[in-house]
Amino acid sequence: MTVCAGTPAELHALKYVEGTLSEFEAERFEAHYFDCPVCLQHLQAIQALALELASHPGTPIQVAQPRIPHAWRTPVWIISAVAASFLIGVVIFKSLESRQVQPTLAQRQPGSQPRAEHPVQPVPPSAQPVIVSLLADLSLPAYSAFNLRGESLDAHFEAGMQEYAKGNCRGALDVLAKIPTESEEARAGQFYSGACQMHLGDFALASELLRKVAYAGNSPQQENAFYMLAQIALAGNDPATAHTYLLRTISLCGDFEERARSQDRKIAKFTGPSKLDEARKPVTK
Amino acid sequence: MPGKSSRELLIFPVEHAQQEEQLVLAIASGDPEAEQIFVLQYLPKVRAMLLARTRDPEVAADLQQDVMIEAICALRRGQLRDAAKLSAFVRGIAGNLLKRHFQNASRQPVSLEYPDDLPDFAAATDTIAEQQQQDLIRHGISSLEPVDRSILELTLVEGLKPGAIAERLRLSSGAVRQRKVRAIRKIIDFVSKSVTKQIHSPL
Repeated sequence: MTVCAGTPAELHALKYVEGTLSEFEAERFEAHYFDCPVCLQHLQAIQALALELASHPGTPIQVAQPRIPHAWRTPVWIISAVAASFLIGVVIFKSLESRQVQPTLAQRQPGSQPRAEHPVQPVPPSAQPVIVSLLADLSLPAYSAFNLRGESLDAHFEAGMQEYAKGNCRGALDVLAKIPTESEEARAGQFYSGACQMHLGDFALASELLRKVAYAGNSPQQENAFYMLAQIALAGNDPATAHTYLLRTISLCGDFEERARSQDRKIAKFTGPSKLDEARKPVTK
Repeated sequence: MPGKSSRELLIFPVEHAQQEEQLVLAIASGDPEAEQIFVLQYLPKVRAMLLARTRDPEVAADLQQDVMIEAICALRRGQLRDAAKLSAFVRGIAGNLLKRHFQNASRQPVSLEYPDDLPDFAAATDTIAEQQQQDLIRHGISSLEPVDRSILELTLVEGLKPGAIAERLRLSSGAVRQRKVRAIRKIIDFVSKSVTKQIHSPL
């Protein structure tokens, strides 16, 4: 055993606990601290710190809002007028855009997607959330087969995903529902069923399925499930819940991190970051 | 176990390949004291690894016993040929069980063989030392500035990155990173100094 001054732990322990160390570095660090009591102690202290902070959360600190000098304050009627004209502009732009886009889609996929299969946007209750719901990305996630070792996939999953790839959500749902719960692809099936339900506009059922995937622990679909839950929350004019799910997506540091971060920034622009944090609600699993 | 007493082996952890070889041979020959030493030596390391990998103390606690049982059973059967690779052997078992756990999270747990004559795992959990460490950590946390405490909480509990924390606390990402590293170092120094004091104090 070599004499160690604790440098490997200083460099890697925090990242290892956060889960941001690459797999290669994590394994190297594990190999080290298994034989190094100094680094093991350092690591254990960080883990104990994390547990202590989790079990005794502190009171959130109040961030001072920058004070605006009185002379610079804009009258309320000016803000209202600007916001109203902006809203009208957005609504007109969107309606023109949808008129232009719909025929193109129909030409691209003749008869493959019945009209009812397009996502149904819920009716906005007020003018402010209209903008937030426009941020929702309700497109179907792409499917790429993850059969890397030549293992055969579940037959129902395979058939369901063929329908999914064609854009036939109803057909895919029928077949994916037949995947046995003990199958290796059960969770993936649940995820793509959730995606189909979202695409068909049944947000309640889609959320239920996606929540199961998101909170079932580490899986290839976990991050995407959190991201899609955020999209459903956005479509339902619920920026606070969307913000919570986007934070979960960001925390997983995967393919959707950047997308989630940028979307979260956009939401904050519309609603204001402080409002989001105030309204941030615990999400039921 | 011949040579050193279990207490000596605890104070001076298994340092050399020769000592590890002794430990492996003793377990293979059915020495229960050697098994107890093995548990005392490796359980904290396995626990740290499982906690980092699962980020769930309950799951880590469940898995750590399975890892130790599987390792002891394999060592009893003499499955480890190269005794110098004991650490890698235990890490390998932990890694396999973790993989199995993540693959079968929604399924029934795979049954392990549970021999009756297992060493006392509870003895390896030094609750007094853990309590002392927790007290030190608590003391260390209370000495932090509220902003630093929030940064640590948002990092270690909520899993946020410096950019997101900076946005929330109206700081720059660089300031968040610096404060985070400084706060961690402060707590680690505090804990290690207190532990060193305890070790060097007369019994």
